[in-house]
Amino acid sequence: MAKNTERKEFQIPTDLSGVQKASAKALAFLKPLDLGEPCVFDIRLCLEEALINAMKYGNRLEKGLQVRLVVEYEAGREVRIAVEDQGSGFDVKSVEDCTQKKNLLRGHGRGVYLIHQLMDEVKFNAKGNRVLMVKRFKRQH
Amino acid sequence: MEVKSLNLEGVWVVEVAGEINLSTSQALKKSFEKLPVKKIVVDLVGVSYIDSSGLATLVELLKKTKSQGGSMGLAGMSEKVKSLFEITKLDKLFQIYPGQKEAVNSIK
Repeated sequence: MAKNTERKEFQIPTDLSGVQKASAKALAFLKPLDLGEPCVFDIRLCLEEALINAMKYGNRLEKGLQVRLVVEYEAGREVRIAVEDQGSGFDVKSVEDCTQKKNLLRGHGRGVYLIHQLMDEVKFNAKGNRVLMVKRFKRQH
Repeated sequence: MEVKSLNLEGVWVVEVAGEINLSTSQALKKSFEKLPVKKIVVDLVGVSYIDSSGLATLVELLKKTKSQGGSMGLAGMSEKVKSLFEITKLDKLFQIYPGQKEAVNSIK
């Protein structure tokens, strides 16, 4: 870990009603970075989409399972957020493109796409139960 | 999230304020169920945040409106909220207006 890196880890119970509280804690940890509102919006949205997917599809809403959230930042450079569920994983390639005409009217499937569009880097592990999202930024002042 | 409905010149205007996310989108869906869907404008000027479930709720309303031969418009989005519609290509699906007045005038 680089010298000016800060890191915090959270264990979150699988409970959709707890997603916003977890996201608020993560954003509070990032407050010293003084990121602009648009950047905070993107990070919050991607984090919440990832947490919801981890709970709904990864852990299948099983109350006893946890979601591991790790938030790291290097001041003046980037924020790295990892979300990991305890499920058996999924095939990342099976997620259809929600922007294709045949999928536009679907009631779901935009979360992963938004993450890819709003973050600078997105990596899933081979199993498909962990996602790493990176947002790069410059200091506001 | 707060929802207020009013009828303007025969068009149902639904003014939404706050956040449309996983915890509030069901309540928004329920408020839409009470309205006739012939002509509807959803005013999002007061919406500060929307997630994929919020987008899905608006898509569901659009589908219902269209299936009943009605018209629907979205109005007053912030730049950030509008960018999510553009990113997901939903701006090709919805009629989007800068403000409530323009939307009502077009839909009525």
